[in-house]
Amino acid sequence: MEGLAIRASRPSIICSLPGLDGGSQRLPLSDGFLRLPTSSYAADKPKLVAKSASLHPISAVNVSAQASLTADFPALSETNVKEERINGDKNKPENIVWHESSICRCDRQQLLQQKGCVIWITGLSGSGKSTVACALSKALFERGKLTYTLDGDNVRHGLNRDLTFKAEDRTENIRRIGEVAKLFADVGVICIASLISPYRRDRDECRSLLPEGDFVEVFMDVPLSVCESRDPKGLYKLARAGKIKGFTGIDDPYEAPLNCEVVLKHTGDDDSCSPRQMAEHIISYLQNKGYLEG
Amino acid sequence: MSTNIFWQESPIGKTERQKLLNQKGCVVWITGLSGSGKSTLACSLSRELYTRGKLSYILDGDNLRHGLNKDLGFKAEDRVENIRRVGEVAKLFADAGLICIASLISPYRKDRDACKPFTFRLFSLKNILFDVYMNMSLQLCEARDPKGLYKLARAGKIKGFTGIDDPYESPLNCEIELKEKEGECPSPVAMAEEVIAYLEAKGFLQNQ
Repeated sequence: MEGLAIRASRPSIICSLPGLDGGSQRLPLSDGFLRLPTSSYAADKPKLVAKSASLHPISAVNVSAQASLTADFPALSETNVKEERINGDKNKPENIVWHESSICRCDRQQLLQQKGCVIWITGLSGSGKSTVACALSKALFERGKLTYTLDGDNVRHGLNRDLTFKAEDRTENIRRIGEVAKLFADVGVICIASLISPYRRDRDECRSLLPEGDFVEVFMDVPLSVCESRDPKGLYKLARAGKIKGFTGIDDPYEAPLNCEVVLKHTGDDDSCSPRQMAEHIISYLQNKGYLEG
Repeated sequence: MSTNIFWQESPIGKTERQKLLNQKGCVVWITGLSGSGKSTLACSLSRELYTRGKLSYILDGDNLRHGLNKDLGFKAEDRVENIRRVGEVAKLFADAGLICIASLISPYRKDRDACKPFTFRLFSLKNILFDVYMNMSLQLCEARDPKGLYKLARAGKIKGFTGIDDPYESPLNCEIELKEKEGECPSPVAMAEEVIAYLEAKGFLQNQ
């Protein structure tokens, strides 16, 4: 007797099919496969609905009863199998979509239930980039979304530890971070890059690495006077004293974005614009653009 | 008053990400000659992990050279820098909670080993980076010659090609060694299953 074997990555899957005990939950055998006899669906062309107990993908393959099943068959996404019909031809089931053997970006998006992108937070030192990045990461985590933050500080001690603050090295610093952010976006991660990145050209280069829409530039629009009064790392003081040269905002320019996706403007009223509120603003943008679903 | 209170959110870290993904971040570093089957294994491993609901990503010597490492050539110092950068990115991926599969020839022992003891943000890669050595004979690899590179190297059209006129230093101490059995190479799925069994035994694939 031939049939269809369905394998789930979780112990149980739910399968409804006429002739199959009224569609109750069935447990696969010890090898992880649930076998369904062809005879139960040959005549009526019923709809096979199979879904795993979790969001994880399940796999289906047409087999003979004697086949020893291994893991060596393509994976189907849950939504494909849900809608499949099994026709009467035991040897050639139609409408079963077989995925390509390599896992692609959309497979990962399906697994994560989100779309990868890069949130590039730019602004003067002390404008609140890290604070917003932290709040954003937390707010997205609470929604079950996976993020990762790249900031100038952590990358400079690892990947970019061979670079200095000379102009060409600053450009290379941004380039490498852009390339890594692109990789994270390809994985399906919402990658938050939080760096001063003062030159428009360098930010635009990073934008060009990604597909349209996947680069979300967030400008922390905070006046220099406010940043300097915060001076969280004491750098403005050192720069004013001439102890640091080429410090952005003091003796090196910051080129504000001309056309970015999100602007977080300092209003002077901490109550109406907390880090969490600013994060929610970015999240609304992501929601509207469909990045928070698979 | 309340306007002066600044709430610093505690950051989301590796533990939280691992809980979300139901796995532990790690790096599977596949090394071996050109044609030994690294990319094929990487692909098979990624697929098998996916069917188990685990998130992985392949860092491939070839695709990185068109992006992050496009400024590097094949001189010895560039090879060293290539591996160094891939190692750093793999560390970031592992910190993100991903199972990072790095698939590159990486012929020099010193450079592969340099990735391991480095301490990054208070955690070490020492127990989360695993070497998988594709121990296939030069004969087998050359017979496959999937990219036609051995032919070019033998004809002297490529210089410094690993295995022909540049050394491959096999690992002295790798976690997993995959080799031919009675002259036959195991299937990609069988090899992937072996790597998965190892990761499972080490607790990287269980629910967090």
